[in-house]
Amino acid sequence: MKPAEASLPSDTEVLVKRSFDAPARLAWRAYMEPDLMRRWCSGYPGWSMPVCEMDMRVGGKYRWRWRSDENGQEFGFFGEVLEVVLHAKLVHTQSYDPGDTGFGSMGAEPSIITVTFQEAGGLTNVATTIKYASKADRDAAFSTGMTDGMEFNYKQLDDVLAEGCKA
Amino acid sequence: MSQLDQAFFALADPTRRGIVLHLARGEATVSELVGCFSLTQPTISSHLKVLESAGLISRRKEAQLRPCKLETEQLKAVTDWLENVQEIWEGNYKRLDALLAELKQQEKRERKK
Repeated sequence: MKPAEASLPSDTEVLVKRSFDAPARLAWRAYMEPDLMRRWCSGYPGWSMPVCEMDMRVGGKYRWRWRSDENGQEFGFFGEVLEVVLHAKLVHTQSYDPGDTGFGSMGAEPSIITVTFQEAGGLTNVATTIKYASKADRDAAFSTGMTDGMEFNYKQLDDVLAEGCKA
Repeated sequence: MSQLDQAFFALADPTRRGIVLHLARGEATVSELVGCFSLTQPTISSHLKVLESAGLISRRKEAQLRPCKLETEQLKAVTDWLENVQEIWEGNYKRLDALLAELKQQEKRERKK
């Protein structure tokens, strides 16, 4: 499958798109069932996901925590389910808890995560939109995710801006 | 707005992203860009102003046609971040690929039963 594509649909949103070689009902299960979720959502190498509690009904809560294999430090996300459309759409709030890792800071307001599933020809297109509550929250996420020492390259530019290329 | 703020705002527009990608191939004048995007000159000029105040492009003062040039430093901050977002998600998605293949097999076996 083509690697994930991230882009900026507005100045407080990030959109990540990816296709999967499976019907939407299976992709859906992987997002809704905690035992399946923790198998793929384990995040960075060297981290495990000891807590993956999810009550995926509207108004239900979820809590995810990751733990460093190296020093046992933890961080997590938690939130509330806002909308569930079977096999098609999932909307939830997301708050960040840096735990004892010291990674970034917690925004005052939760972000809103919208995941859509669209099946076409046996593939499922999954689009995830992260809407930060404010520019300050986006900037906090921005500074958390920064990598150093990478040279600017035009290939990278193509990847992240390709969607807007109308010329 | 901070410059980073302006860069996010500037890059959230598809036409401006298109202009940035065009300039990645080399400098261009306003009239060249007007030709490429089939938009009016005032429209292109206002997009260029947004890109310029965000520090994403510069315009040469000495040349009469004032060609636009990509300024990569500010752009790099944003694209690095998006690239990093992509990498983290792709790591998860590769595991999801494997999990979905397994679930498909499981469904097949259950159908045979």
